[in-house]
Amino acid sequence: MTLSRREFVKQSGLALSFAVAGTTKLLSPADAYAEGIAFSVLSDEEVNNINAICSILVPGAKEAGVAHFIDHQLNADPNDSLLVLKYFGFPPPYLDFYRPVVSAIAKLSQSMFDKNLSDLDEKEGRKLVESFRDANPEGWQAPPAPLAYHALRNDAVDVVYGTPEGFEKLGVPYMEHILPPEGWS
Amino acid sequence: MKTNEKVDVVIVGTGAASSVYAALLAEAGKSVVMLEKGTARKLTDLYSSQTWARRLKWATPHVMEESKDSIWYNFNAGHGYGGAAIHHYAVWPRYHPEDMKEYSLYGQALDWPYEYDELRPWYDKVMMDVGMSGDAEKEIWRPAGDPYPLPPVLVSNHGKVLARGFEALGMHTSPIPMAILSQPYKGRQACIWDGWCDAGCPTGALANPLVHYIPRAVKAGASLRPDSHVTRVLMDNKGVRANGVEYYDSEGVKHVQHADLVVLGAFTIENPRILLNSATSKHKNGLGNSSGMVGKYIMSHPAVTAFGMFEEETQNHIGATGGQLLNQDRFPKEKGSFGSQQWEVALALKPNDLLGIAMSRADLFGSDLHSFMKKASRSMTSMVAVVEDQPMIENRIELSSKKDKFGMPLALAKHTWHEETRKLFHDTAKEGLKIVKAAGATQAWHSPPGGQHIMGGTIMGSDPEKSVTNENAQCHDIPNLVLGGGGIFPTSSCVNSTYTIHATAMKSSRYIADHWGSIVS
Ligand SMILES: Cc1cc2nc3c(=O)[nH]c(=O)nc-3n(C[C@H](O)[C@H](O)[C@H](O)COP(=O)(O)OP(=O)(O)OC[C@H]3O[C@@H](n4cnc5c(N)ncnc54)[C@H](O)[C@@H]3O)c2cc1C
Ligand code: SF4
Repeated sequence: MTLSRREFVKQSGLALSFAVAGTTKLLSPADAYAEGIAFSVLSDEEVNNINAICSILVPGAKEAGVAHFIDHQLNADPNDSLLVLKYFGFPPPYLDFYRPVVSAIAKLSQSMFDKNLSDLDEKEGRKLVESFRDANPEGWQAPPAPLAYHALRNDAVDVVYGTPEGFEKLGVPYMEHILPPEGWS
Repeated sequence: MKTNEKVDVVIVGTGAASSVYAALLAEAGKSVVMLEKGTARKLTDLYSSQTWARRLKWATPHVMEESKDSIWYNFNAGHGYGGAAIHHYAVWPRYHPEDMKEYSLYGQALDWPYEYDELRPWYDKVMMDVGMSGDAEKEIWRPAGDPYPLPPVLVSNHGKVLARGFEALGMHTSPIPMAILSQPYKGRQACIWDGWCDAGCPTGALANPLVHYIPRAVKAGASLRPDSHVTRVLMDNKGVRANGVEYYDSEGVKHVQHADLVVLGAFTIENPRILLNSATSKHKNGLGNSSGMVGKYIMSHPAVTAFGMFEEETQNHIGATGGQLLNQDRFPKEKGSFGSQQWEVALALKPNDLLGIAMSRADLFGSDLHSFMKKASRSMTSMVAVVEDQPMIENRIELSSKKDKFGMPLALAKHTWHEETRKLFHDTAKEGLKIVKAAGATQAWHSPPGGQHIMGGTIMGSDPEKSVTNENAQCHDIPNLVLGGGGIFPTSSCVNSTYTIHATAMKSSRYIADHWGSIVS
């Protein structure tokens, strides 16, 4: 099954509406990434760091639009939010989670390797994740590091595997009943 | 403040329990209003996506936990029309007779104020109303009951592979009893086994509240008000009868809704929270709480998932989310690890979300995760065990010092498993690995503990000094204040609670309709 972009957006379990030049456009996070849609909450630095750490956790997360997904959801009413963080009991606003956590991971990368997150090679990326996956590393000043691991990993899994394209990658039929409607945000 | 026109019955919530009360009382000719804190929702709002399914969950905090063993509120509660039941998996076994008289039989836990035989006709009635699939003969542990109206749910290779493991260990499996249609029923279409139940089934094949009881209630004249956040039950001047509720709408405007009968069906934690928050000078410790029992005996089923990796393809994407087969061999309550336990076998899997394939190996990331995802999507199996939680008076809900935006204190949960429950849980996890290995798995592993089906906190009983409600779910102290949901269960059994929530709500609504005059005057 090969999907054209338009079909993919229509069929995507993750089609979200993004503001583009004063209008609203329905895009999957992957298309939002491909079209370079502007971010509304996250800074450039945060976007780069989210893309880098999520791609270490789940290869393909950056291209699947993980930063656009998170940015979009940070604008949503928390009770309508699609972020897995909801399950973990962290109280909204969720920016109070993502901002310190992403900054703490970036600092960890500097202190461990003297490098930006996006410059880590595969081995370094692995070491970095192992240093915060199960417990707070020394000097960690953010919501619990294992929670950061689970939330960011799940966000990345959502955009990489939780869509029709992701199912296809795994060789699993999507078999939807109803897809999210256009214009829903 | 706005005062609305008085009705006969005001029902808080639109979930499993509330929908039954609404249908039966409206059909008995009562004017009924249902107040729902969450959003209005239709079946067609249930999109097939594990990511979008999270819209059905609360984000705003309701409960602070000081628990050793979490009750898992965020996972278990839901909001909007249909409540958590809108995306429940419809695994509907019955309580066993011994679950309802544990104190008499074993000197442990509590007794219900009635025995299984009294509930049985209501189970049978609900089953015929909504349509259930199963095989009463093969379900050898099943208590007395009418046969299922529909044949069993689908068993794919996933179920067949795991059944091998049970068989090799001399254990039994039967079709899992489900409130899902294996064939068309009363104008509703049959399940197509695509495994989207967790995202909410929009076809009507699964008996969520929007499929059967809410439409019946609406047809009989009941109305639903979304975005209506109930904070208190109101009492008459004498402090003898409930006369309505107070709620806030989405604009933050306070409303009063007067009624002759108040039904709280706001889910296990919220019901005691509302009662405790409704204290008056005549009910200083909260409503229905002269015994001090409001909030006590909170229970949440410990659950563990056993996974296996096989050489063969398991077709784990096919079927219903709740599973294909059942095992209740370990129902008898043994000393030392008191309680019952059941396996729900072959749950349909999706790649993402809490119960998805990726979370089954939460430690993996990077290329290891991708290799695992590829293999697991083809060849993994999943089965979940539910373990009985003991009613212990020290496991409780209180009011927290933290408040929500309406000034209502949050609930504070304190919950620790009984040591015997802990032992039963660990034995169960080990048993799961044995079964999966016996089925031929090349790898077997299990999840950390989770919590399912929150119960207790407003328990039923014959003794007003030791319980909150009588056998018809009316508060001992205030007969026209009625409680719906698993909160009234004095014991948790190990079975999923929603079928019993329906049966108890139907028993109570029928009683109330038949004795209306004496209850409301
Ligand atoms: C993912 C999942 C799978 C499940 N699978 C199964 C299963 O297979 N079998 C089974 O038996 N059970 C299952 N359950 C459990 C089942 O959903 C619950 O037992 C059932 O929904 C509880 O019914 P209830 O009426 O008490 O509460 P709910 O159905 O949750 O309804 C309560 C309603 O009250 C509303 N409310 C809360 N507070 C207020 C307030 N202050 N004012 C106004 N309204 C309020 C809520 O928004 C909600 O709509 C599952 C649950 C989940 C989450
Ligand atoms: S598997 Fe059946 S009950 Fe579940 S969502 Fe699909 S059609 Fe509905």
